[in-house]
Amino acid sequence: MIKKYAVFTVLLLFSHLSYGASGGDLKPVAIDLGNKASLQRGAQIYFNNCSGCHTLQYHRYSKFVNDLGISEDMIKSNLILTTNKGEKTKLGSTIINSINHDSIKEVFGVVPPDLTLTARSRGSEWIYTFLTSFYEDETRPMGVNNILYPNVNMPHVLWYKEGLKKLDENNQLILKVKGQLNQKEYEQEITDLVNFLTYVAEPAQLERYSIGFWVMLFLVFFAFITYLLKIEYWRDIK
Amino acid sequence: MSKFIAWIDERLPVTKFVKNHLSEYYAPKNFNFFYFFGSLALFVFILQIITGIFLTINYKPDAASAFASVEYIMRDVEWGWLIRYMHSTGASFFFIVVYLHMLRALMYGSYKKPRELLWLFGMFIFVLLMAEAFMGYLLPWGQMSYWGAQVIISLFGAIPLIGESLALWIRGDYVISDATLNRFFAFHVIALPLLLFAVIYLHIAALHTVGSNNPDGIEIKANKNKDGVPVDGIPFHPYYTVKDIFGLAVFLTIFMFVVFFLPEFGGFFLEKDNFVPADPLKTPEHIVPVWYFTPFYAILRAVPDKLGGVIAMGLAIFVLFLMPWLDRCKVKSIRYRSISYKILLAAFIISFIGLGYIGMKAPTPTLTVLGRLFTIVYFGFFVLLYFTSKNEKTKPVPDRVTMHD
Repeated sequence: MIKKYAVFTVLLLFSHLSYGASGGDLKPVAIDLGNKASLQRGAQIYFNNCSGCHTLQYHRYSKFVNDLGISEDMIKSNLILTTNKGEKTKLGSTIINSINHDSIKEVFGVVPPDLTLTARSRGSEWIYTFLTSFYEDETRPMGVNNILYPNVNMPHVLWYKEGLKKLDENNQLILKVKGQLNQKEYEQEITDLVNFLTYVAEPAQLERYSIGFWVMLFLVFFAFITYLLKIEYWRDIK
Repeated sequence: MSKFIAWIDERLPVTKFVKNHLSEYYAPKNFNFFYFFGSLALFVFILQIITGIFLTINYKPDAASAFASVEYIMRDVEWGWLIRYMHSTGASFFFIVVYLHMLRALMYGSYKKPRELLWLFGMFIFVLLMAEAFMGYLLPWGQMSYWGAQVIISLFGAIPLIGESLALWIRGDYVISDATLNRFFAFHVIALPLLLFAVIYLHIAALHTVGSNNPDGIEIKANKNKDGVPVDGIPFHPYYTVKDIFGLAVFLTIFMFVVFFLPEFGGFFLEKDNFVPADPLKTPEHIVPVWYFTPFYAILRAVPDKLGGVIAMGLAIFVLFLMPWLDRCKVKSIRYRSISYKILLAAFIISFIGLGYIGMKAPTPTLTVLGRLFTIVYFGFFVLLYFTSKNEKTKPVPDRVTMHD
């Protein structure tokens, strides 16, 4: 009997392994939410480059204090770049920006999407691949195109870091104009940024694994005790 | 203390109730693995009610703020993420448990005389549960919530004459909208749970009237000692309470593992598209229902005609109600039935799982053919069962239950 339970449990525990693989041409990205320095760098890159157009409307600045270890003063002076009725946006506010939806639609054709949950809806690997797949394309309004997301309306905001790439005849990306960073440094920055967006998509991840470990430990122990209890009671059933 | 209990008993028969339903309620002593799922289903139901109450405290049934309120629960409400994951994982586990519970009934003939009503109540619970899950799935107001509901409700439109007005009546609007969300919320949090509670009560009342079946399919009440106690029965409490607590502990270990480590379960429990707020102007590429509906969805798609598909899907559920009368074999348990029933049941299980898989995938010519094949097998089970079960060559059934493990 116990063997049956054991097999069943093990099967269920390992059934997730097959979901690890992801589709098609996405590049792997090493997500490490335990790396606070990386999350902080990701936040810095985000607020310096992305927050002008994109929002994180379900997330609050104040969460960065405990989650990322960034001080309140640091957040107020470096991350909060918007105002509300003439005063600086408050720490407890959600992360929105002040773009005018009508005018930005005229410029880009769309309102830039909110990014709070992109790491959950599209996946971390998708964001990483997207941000490393821009190339020069004079036929596009922004002068760039994207391999992963053809004809996307977004300009290559980080081109000053990555440089500008072009497609060669074998459809491979080759560097045309050098940027501030080399390939490796740029990939590291994007990893940090994706790490940050992965955290923003589900802040609970920071605690859920460690709490889950103790819950598992307790439940396995509890199951063992209740098994002994069952055996004890059932001794007299023939 | 005993005086206090006597005082209560004079006014409310608590002691008698405990005796009748626990300490002197006799259950067969040979229950196996499959007999855990009834009490587990009851546990998950209560868990859904409790976690549901806590979610309702912060959720907003309003098309403009529903999605944001779920994210608010996930981030800003203390332990909100845990409550929400328990509820979303609980929904899927409810179906896992209920499907296994139903499979048990098919294996051991638990729907046969005198348990026909018990089975019918169980089937009503199943239908209510599907409605409950379907309406609950709209509440997060994600893309898949929205478009899934849009597709399913539009199916009612296929019904001749009244179809379109029926769909309109259910939605309260021409498309899924704030009105739909509001009424689904009402149904999900109060109307259907109340009904479920009532039918679960009837299900258990009917069970305690006829007594449990068992893996041998023998009526233990036919064999009583001089005190009128079934010789193969043991008091539910303490024997099955301690056994079920152990079962619960194993269940919770698996359940909590999913809650903490795989809450999305690779997109099966929480779909990726549902992390995008509902957008009536943007249809997702693949609209698929959650996994527990996919077998029936695959049957719907297997029929080329829309109305025909809707009828086939409805029939696939309805035909299960008829099991006590379709299966005419006198022997209950699969242990003593002929090879033909074993083959039929195996084919049925394979077709159900196969349909579940096909229902999740975008249609391709191969999958469509396969889906039709499995649909024929699914219905073939009931048709062939009706004709083969009457004169089945069964093995002799023992007088007393057997203990295997």
